[in-house]
Amino acid sequence: MSQQLAEDDRAESIRMIRDSAAAIAPPGGDLKRVRALRFKTPGFDPAVWAEMGALGWTGLRVPEELGGSGLGMGEFCALAEALGAGLAPEPLVPCMLSAMLLSAAATHPTTLIGSGEAGEALAAMLTGEAMVLTAWQERANTLEAPGTPGAARLFLPMAGGATHFLVPVREAAGLALYIQPAAGADLTLEATQDGGSFGTLRPAGGVKILDQCAAVLEQALGEAALGTAATLLGVMDRAFAITLDYLKTRTQFGRPIGAFQSLQHRAADLAMEVALTRASVEAAAASLDAAAPNRGAAIARAKARASDSAMLVTRQAIQLHGGIGYTDEHDIGLYLRRAMVLASLFGGAALHRRAFMTLAPESGDE
Amino acid sequence: MNAVTDAAPEDMNLLSDHDFRLVVRRFIEANYPAEIRNPPKRLHWSENKPWYMTLSRQGWLAPGWPREHGGMALSPLKQIIMIEEMERYGAARTNDMGIVMIGPLLLKYGTPEQKATFLPAIIAGEHVWCQGYSEPNAGSDLASLRTEAVLEGDTYVVNGQKTWTTLGSDANWIFLLVRTDKAVKKQEGISFLLVPMDSPGITVRPIVNLDLHDEFCEVFFDNVRVPASNLVGEPNKGWTMAKALLGFERIHLGSPKQSAHALQRLAQLAERMGVSEEPQFQDRFTRLRMDLEDLKALYETYVERLRRGEGLPPSVSMLKVIQSELYQKITDALLDVAAENAGLLEPMEGNRDLHPSGIFIAARPSTIYGGSNEIQRNIIAKNVLDLPG
Ligand SMILES: Cc1cc2nc3c(=O)[nH]c(=O)nc-3n(C[C@H](O)[C@H](O)[C@H](O)COP(=O)(O)OP(=O)(O)OC[C@H]3O[C@@H](n4cnc5c(N)ncnc54)[C@H](O)[C@@H]3O)c2cc1C
Repeated sequence: MSQQLAEDDRAESIRMIRDSAAAIAPPGGDLKRVRALRFKTPGFDPAVWAEMGALGWTGLRVPEELGGSGLGMGEFCALAEALGAGLAPEPLVPCMLSAMLLSAAATHPTTLIGSGEAGEALAAMLTGEAMVLTAWQERANTLEAPGTPGAARLFLPMAGGATHFLVPVREAAGLALYIQPAAGADLTLEATQDGGSFGTLRPAGGVKILDQCAAVLEQALGEAALGTAATLLGVMDRAFAITLDYLKTRTQFGRPIGAFQSLQHRAADLAMEVALTRASVEAAAASLDAAAPNRGAAIARAKARASDSAMLVTRQAIQLHGGIGYTDEHDIGLYLRRAMVLASLFGGAALHRRAFMTLAPESGDE
Repeated sequence: MNAVTDAAPEDMNLLSDHDFRLVVRRFIEANYPAEIRNPPKRLHWSENKPWYMTLSRQGWLAPGWPREHGGMALSPLKQIIMIEEMERYGAARTNDMGIVMIGPLLLKYGTPEQKATFLPAIIAGEHVWCQGYSEPNAGSDLASLRTEAVLEGDTYVVNGQKTWTTLGSDANWIFLLVRTDKAVKKQEGISFLLVPMDSPGITVRPIVNLDLHDEFCEVFFDNVRVPASNLVGEPNKGWTMAKALLGFERIHLGSPKQSAHALQRLAQLAERMGVSEEPQFQDRFTRLRMDLEDLKALYETYVERLRRGEGLPPSVSMLKVIQSELYQKITDALLDVAAENAGLLEPMEGNRDLHPSGIFIAARPSTIYGGSNEIQRNIIAKNVLDLPG
């Protein structure tokens, strides 16, 4: 196949993903579903989660031989962006991380007692029956998973709906991975601004599914950071579109407020933020799919950009709506709330800038 | 050093600044209700009334008003000290529209009867005021307001709708800008009217805000009858008076209070997150602190003008812009320092002092209300800098 053909195929598969995303997050659709799920446990719709399984989304990155679609980050980011734009609360990105770990466990050459469990959990997630979260984080503002035995694991998104947890645990031989059912787990939930929740897990028991998960986990965390950046891209892009529309329709002083030059400049500035984020996210996805040596730095750049720009765009979206932007009735605030939660998830801008500094120490390295 | 006593002297201006600070501090510590310290949201009247009444009994409710009307006639610096001490302790904002807005307006434009009726009622906590200016289609372009008051004999009949009325559901009085002449230029047909909220024909609908709190309201007027004696100043001169009041509002919104409060929270959060000693944080924090000190210095110059009885120049808009944007910059830092905790709906660890997302959201409207920052910049460009257009 010529390179051009391959690229066309790729573009076509990305377009198809976007189209299918419209079934759950219709462009310009209303957010009644999203509002109805807010501030209730589990914060997302299990039926929609099952549908996402049926559509092949939970297994998008899982190799075909394990029942997934084996697609790339380009496709995954397109999907995450569409779901971000529709503010879909289903935890696709954190579950993709778990799917990567489960895939590694299911294909691991040495059979551990738990590899059967890993395969089962993976299969159940691919049909949307299971929701598996990886409980890697022990403190705020980090991308490192020390695997401290017994330490509480924090910031588990939508944990109230989880069926299993994957828990990295430091052992003599390295960072092992355990699977633990959510039923009976010591889990507490705290509500988040976007209507979801963060769970805190005190891990206990479970069976080992991997002896060494450090490398897969690191890679999966990078992909989750990029998936979150793509989600933020969708959030800011839609918030900007809604705002642009408002600038054209809201009238004060006898003209649409978008006729005032200061607001035109503001809109132009925000459009540039969205454009930079899109370019950065797509470049990072391409470098991941090409297994380029600099992909780590590209991911760091994309997440840093997406976090900062999404906060800027959604903050300005409120400002440009005036009083109505400060109501809960108007949808624009929902975009700010989602950005507030996602901006720091899988690393905030400052953390990713530090990561970039280490990964691309000299200009030209990247 | 003077002996510091708990009894406030007649004229607190005679105390040294230091002694004054200690007197205020002790009073707050001894009298402020613990359960409303550092509230996460703006309090309703039922919650802040006890503190309002405590200040009232102490004679400290209206630091800027003249003494003959129950105020303290404090020097600007002492007003700032008072603000600082309230902030330091985490004292909540009360339903203060009467004190910061309608009181100063009546002092300037009210008839002796109006002053005698309304000012003591504010000090006594009998009248709780809200501000009825904005309408669905008259926000930044306030002068295009359409709520109408038609004179029938000695009564105005009011019809229309106001919106974004802060704490409108708590208030028993509302001050309105109403259209009294439709034939003239829009600014020249507006009057200033004082209306009891229990008048027949008034309906109030609370609106849930971004902070998920029922803080502002829509207020509907259906043939509401108001005695003509409740008009302030001359008919159709409401716009001029409202503009003067906007000056008071801007200086109030330019007060370093909110920023000072947020900065304290930032210091506490940084401590909790273990980043206080990090050079990046220290640089950012110090910059914000210095911004705050500069803001205070600028604020004092405007308060000083007020004290000398001079009007406020249009450049007071700068104060509002600088304050609100500093406030928001501090709350941006709060989210960054909080990292993942920035997403939490409730305070961290149940500690009200650690609620980054709450302060961040609460800071959003400061650049919208009281004349948005875009409008303030228009004013600075046109009325201060005389730019063409
Ligand atoms: C929390 C809160 C409390 C409030 N409390 C009260 C209250 O108690 N009483 C009361 O009467 N009102 C109150 N308001 C209303 C407030 O004064 C208005 O929201 C404000 O004047 C802006 O009007 P608007 O909401 O209609 O926005 P719009 O005027 O529609 O503005 C939308 C956007 O366009 C911008 N814009 C408009 N015109 C221009 C221009 N010429 N040049 C550049 N940019 C422009 C604005 O800055 C804003 O970003 C409150 C508002 C809030 C958010």
